[in-house]
Amino acid sequence: MEILSYLNACGGHRLLTRIPPSFDMSVPSVHLASGFDFSNQIRNNFLAERGIPLPKATSTGTTIVGCLFKDGIVLGADTRATEGDIVADKNCEKIHYITENIRCCGAGTAADTEFTTAMISSNMELHALWTGRKPRVVTAMTMLKQTLFKYQGQIGAALVLGGVDSAGPHLFTIHPHGSTDKLPFVTMGSGSLAAMAVFESGWKPNMDRAEALQLVKDAIFAGIFNDLGSGSNVDACIITATSTEMLRNVEMPNQRAEKENKYEFKRGTTAWKKEEVRSLITSEQVTLIGVGDESMDTS
Amino acid sequence: MNTLAEQFSTTSALSKLKKTQALLEDEEMSDAMWGSQAGFGNVAQGSPSFAVPAVPDPSAFLRLHTDDRADPNCKIKIQHGTTTLAFRYQGGVIVAVDSRATAGSYVASGTVKKVIEINPYLLGTMAGGAADCQYWETYLGMHCRLHELRNRERISVSAASKYLSNLVYSYKGMGLSMGTMICGWDKTGPAIFYVDSDGTRLKGDLFSVGSGSTFAYGVLDQGYHWDMTDEDAQELGRRSIYAAGHRDAFSGNTCNLYHVKEDGWRFIGNYDLSKLHYDGPNNVPGAGYGYDIRIAGRASALQPAVAAAA
Amino acid sequence: MEYNGGSVVAMVGKDCVAIACDLRLGNQALGVSSNFPKIFPITDRIYLGMSGLATDLETLRERFRFRVNMYTIKEEREIEPQTFAHLVSSTLYEHRFGPYFIEPVIAGLSKTPSGDLKPFIAAADLIGCLNFAKDFVVSGTASAKIYGLAEALWEPDLEPEDLFETISQTLMNAVDRDAFSGWGCLVHVLTKDKVITRTLKSRMD
Repeated sequence: MEILSYLNACGGHRLLTRIPPSFDMSVPSVHLASGFDFSNQIRNNFLAERGIPLPKATSTGTTIVGCLFKDGIVLGADTRATEGDIVADKNCEKIHYITENIRCCGAGTAADTEFTTAMISSNMELHALWTGRKPRVVTAMTMLKQTLFKYQGQIGAALVLGGVDSAGPHLFTIHPHGSTDKLPFVTMGSGSLAAMAVFESGWKPNMDRAEALQLVKDAIFAGIFNDLGSGSNVDACIITATSTEMLRNVEMPNQRAEKENKYEFKRGTTAWKKEEVRSLITSEQVTLIGVGDESMDTS
Repeated sequence: MNTLAEQFSTTSALSKLKKTQALLEDEEMSDAMWGSQAGFGNVAQGSPSFAVPAVPDPSAFLRLHTDDRADPNCKIKIQHGTTTLAFRYQGGVIVAVDSRATAGSYVASGTVKKVIEINPYLLGTMAGGAADCQYWETYLGMHCRLHELRNRERISVSAASKYLSNLVYSYKGMGLSMGTMICGWDKTGPAIFYVDSDGTRLKGDLFSVGSGSTFAYGVLDQGYHWDMTDEDAQELGRRSIYAAGHRDAFSGNTCNLYHVKEDGWRFIGNYDLSKLHYDGPNNVPGAGYGYDIRIAGRASALQPAVAAAA
Repeated sequence: MEYNGGSVVAMVGKDCVAIACDLRLGNQALGVSSNFPKIFPITDRIYLGMSGLATDLETLRERFRFRVNMYTIKEEREIEPQTFAHLVSSTLYEHRFGPYFIEPVIAGLSKTPSGDLKPFIAAADLIGCLNFAKDFVVSGTASAKIYGLAEALWEPDLEPEDLFETISQTLMNAVDRDAFSGWGCLVHVLTKDKVITRTLKSRMD
């Protein structure tokens, strides 16, 4: 997580004007400048002009939701990550840790949600240590929206932020351009319409824990089964004033049927031309114990 | 059936009248009887015509949705990668092709027949749109037969290729894509004509068409002589396709080899390029065409330690 | 991706991992070299495979070598696969708005607290989104085809020799259906006490 410590120290201004570390030969590159590196952009634009397009980044087509209940917040997410029309990861984690009492679900460009939340998580930790107080949800929300606004939507992260702090439970959505909403139930991602339909018909104030969890599961199911960008399993996270429960794979409705037979190749199937074996054992000493009165063999 | 032959047997005014009458009679027969006229129902009514997209400019529409270098993501993929070659020599014509079909980077098939057997004396090769080549060359075969019936002699390679080139020229700019070699033996001896969908028609001794053609030409030009033996000529065809299959990403899998002589064409064989690489055409391990096979243990980089030390 | 072509795959076995790549370096349709390995040892127990643009592959290989050396000097210990995966990820994400055209695949054996070695594989996209799979990871022009074969052929808990057969057949058959990959294959199998490297006899067209 080296980038995190890099980004901490710098303001956004310097990011754009600094010299790319790979070109700056006067400074030993051990001490890399922090932030993003734009040095490949000219090259990549040239390649794009020549008809060599950028490979697809992993995106989380995603259904993520959050809902308020009597004692706190329930967050939910599916676990599919896609690369174009390919399912790149069948069981990824989309509920990211911010602090012990705050979690954040991410949709959009997977790397962006991953790094943005990790970055805010570490800044929240520093903030908590500095102030000596339990961190607040609004603080995380403000940090996130300021980061995203600064990048004018270029960082493709659509987030659902939820947590419980001294001021009670809070639930936010944060859009890639930096706009935010505070609502009692929220959905995001390509499956947001399917999930919202479930919330709109099923949500009521002051639900208990079991009811809220079931509603969140149903909302994610709606995304998993009706949206092509979402799929696999359900992750949920229940945050109350006293505890945070991360329920990884609470529901697994898409387990593959067990294969009834195996494709096992007989050893020697694959013809090869050359073999090289690198032994990782540099020295070996065998000490024989209890073999009569012979002297110890150390060969 | 003999009424059909009669229709085209002469061209006198009387026969024309007869023809019209026969046509009218034909129409009384059901389509089923003709088996939907083998898909060539329009032959008696002049040149065939196609249903075109119902848009103001059909060829522009087609261009928009057919893949080319500019847009690899469009809906209709046309097979581009290929290596085909044909050359004329003392002993006839050698025709050799690869068998790979690709859609983008995907190898859609490794067993495509890229030589179209028009009739026992004529072969056509396939590069560009597979469907275009197959359809029009089969269609050409039909007209070659009609020519035989009308003129009581086989069509010359020159005439057959001209028929095809005139035909595709009438569709110029409408999206046909074919680069083909019409090969055969006629009164003049062995003959090859290159015909493509632009309307180009060239007579020559030696052609190679497709994305791997440059690699094939390299081997072909180097080894070509008019006075070759049949064995050497066949080997040259095979070796050239191997070279192209090796270097070109869009060519490969197997090589189909044909030999045209005075008594018509003969299929020589189908050769797996992987086998050619390792074992050569006679299946002798270590006697393959492959560079690393030929230099095994003999290149400077691979000198045995003893020799290097000396 | 299609400019130079190439593919990499890694698989988990029983107390072992395997990582394999093709050997083609192309210039679009033209094959240029049939001896261009895309997998490099990082430590004795971490192998890194990269597919994509060859120039970036060379650049990043040197960059990772440098950063791993710096890590080893600073920490006075060998880097763990997990840590290395994050190093790869953050290096790529630094270039979020001008990325390297590389999709890395990492295979290694990581130390558990008890001192045992546990198989580890990971892959990332070109901007460093990590994918920790428990079965197999792929990258390159033949990735879709490898996914299909691996999904059918892979079994849990394969012994090193069986894992070699599975990964070899997966890669070779996938690569034969891809125009931009092939021209030879290279397989590494990492076990507790040795690394077996084999060059496969594969199609050369």
